[in-house]
Amino acid sequence: MSDVTGSEYSSEHMFAFSDKRPALSDDIRAAIRPVTLAKTKTLPVAEPWRSLLPDGGLRRGATVGVQSPPGWGGVSVALSLLSEASAKGHWAAVVGVDDPGVVAIADLGLDLRRVLFVPRPRGAWAESAADLVDGVDLLIVRPPSRPAHAAARNLMDRVRERGTVLIALTEPVAPWPLPVEVSLDVTHTEWVASSRLESRSLTVRVGGRGAAGRGAERVLVVPDRRGRAVAS
Amino acid sequence: MERLLALWIEELSVEQADGSSLRSLVAVLDALVSICPFVEPIRLGFITMPIRGPSRFFGGDDAVMDAVAAAVRDVTGYEVSLGVAEGLFCAELAARQRTVVPAGGTRLFRHVQPLAVLGHKELTTTARRLGLVTVGEFAELAPARVAERFSRTVQVLHRVARGELYELPAQRDKQLLARLRTARGEDVRAEEQMGFFGQRSASDDRAQAAAHRLRHRLGVDGVLVADVRGGRSPDDRAALVPWGAPRAAARDEAPWPGQLGSPAPTTSFRYPVRVEVLDGDNQPVRLGVRGAMTGTPSVLVLERGVRRRITWCAGPWLFIEQWWAAPRRRAHAQVILETGEAMLVTTEGGQWWLTGMYD
Repeated sequence: MSDVTGSEYSSEHMFAFSDKRPALSDDIRAAIRPVTLAKTKTLPVAEPWRSLLPDGGLRRGATVGVQSPPGWGGVSVALSLLSEASAKGHWAAVVGVDDPGVVAIADLGLDLRRVLFVPRPRGAWAESAADLVDGVDLLIVRPPSRPAHAAARNLMDRVRERGTVLIALTEPVAPWPLPVEVSLDVTHTEWVASSRLESRSLTVRVGGRGAAGRGAERVLVVPDRRGRAVAS
Repeated sequence: MERLLALWIEELSVEQADGSSLRSLVAVLDALVSICPFVEPIRLGFITMPIRGPSRFFGGDDAVMDAVAAAVRDVTGYEVSLGVAEGLFCAELAARQRTVVPAGGTRLFRHVQPLAVLGHKELTTTARRLGLVTVGEFAELAPARVAERFSRTVQVLHRVARGELYELPAQRDKQLLARLRTARGEDVRAEEQMGFFGQRSASDDRAQAAAHRLRHRLGVDGVLVADVRGGRSPDDRAALVPWGAPRAAARDEAPWPGQLGSPAPTTSFRYPVRVEVLDGDNQPVRLGVRGAMTGTPSVLVLERGVRRRITWCAGPWLFIEQWWAAPRRRAHAQVILETGEAMLVTTEGGQWWLTGMYD
């Protein structure tokens, strides 16, 4: 018993939070991730989305389906969902959006230093997305054709396990084959234009398993005159 | 002096903001090493190799040049200008003139060149007043006469003209080798993408690892990162560069006059799509000399003859760029189609292109 006061039991070894923790090797540091508490399990979203999404943010491990006819603003909607989290320092990746307009993405508020683009994964979109799930917190996937059931299932499982947020961007002719936590469908689009394109108002129908106001339709302005997403 | 085979690839000679000319040069060098191990990059778009050894191996100068031209075409898709002469200075001239100078003929070849090839404007004009038109006539001046009349730079050029030096002072890009090493990824510092204040967090490491895996899967151009620079049209302002490639150094935050304002297109085509813009009478709309359109655009004809009615159109915004060099006269216009899509179309030289979409 008297040994406890001996020299090898200094306070240094008794507390986990002492400075002298073992240095982790780079491989381990890349593989592990910090413990996340319930509070940090949602990633923040910008204002127009905060009132629309069930948890007031993007819940880690969830899949959000964004569906829009081509050219009706699906890309803008998906990207604007990322803006707040990206600006707060989370990594994001965009798979399958060919030739992304970088200026528009910067205007929406994303931090381009932490966005990876995979513009043309061709047949390997599911594998590419699966690779990225391990590396980023937010992932936009636009499948080049109607996604296969199994590929979608695998990706959603992986997303749930790793705590990433998946945003599946599809068109009505080739919808996402599985039910998603939150679905955002663009049902109407209208440009406001004077001597140039100024802004676009989108009608978005919110649905999905855990959605608060299921079936509610909201009007958003994406992009506005400064290229951002705002509530109308 | 050794006979050199010089390769001049016009398209790769201009520095591209996304570093593509540097990467293409790396690919060309890698392809040429199988023909001759002593390939030497001189400048962007300009490469030399000794021709004596390959010529023996392939069975003649022409056979070597066929192999080299085919290799460059395979790798880049560009046509290469080839030339053979002794010394770097004459080899470059030969390549630009697509000439093979026979062994021992280099002195004659150099002497008939106009004086402007030395690249010194003041010398060219002064020498013309003295009645000297060709490099050979300039070379015949006594060095002492040149020294009392011209600057030290011109004295160096005079030695090149006389064949005492084999290259012009500015012919080599001295940074090129270091930059090629960086482009090959041998300089690891370029690979790191820094977080805030240059610190790297665990999430940065995870993203790096994922990007690494993906680059293995898809190739170098598979994973891209973005960079916003100064410029007028959206495709000039934005650059997508391969992940891990060295970034273009220039970052311009200054407002550019005539910049197309926000909102910017969410899709900015890397390879614009040919389209037709027709007016109400189904006549093609053109850009007039004063920068106005010849008719009101009312139909957009997309690929495979798909026709869409234009419900609204704005523009044209005329850009005459780089009027000091090769002038490009372009005009942008925004259109909204009956389907509700908004697009950015651009006209240049009578042809319309779909350059962006506001999705």
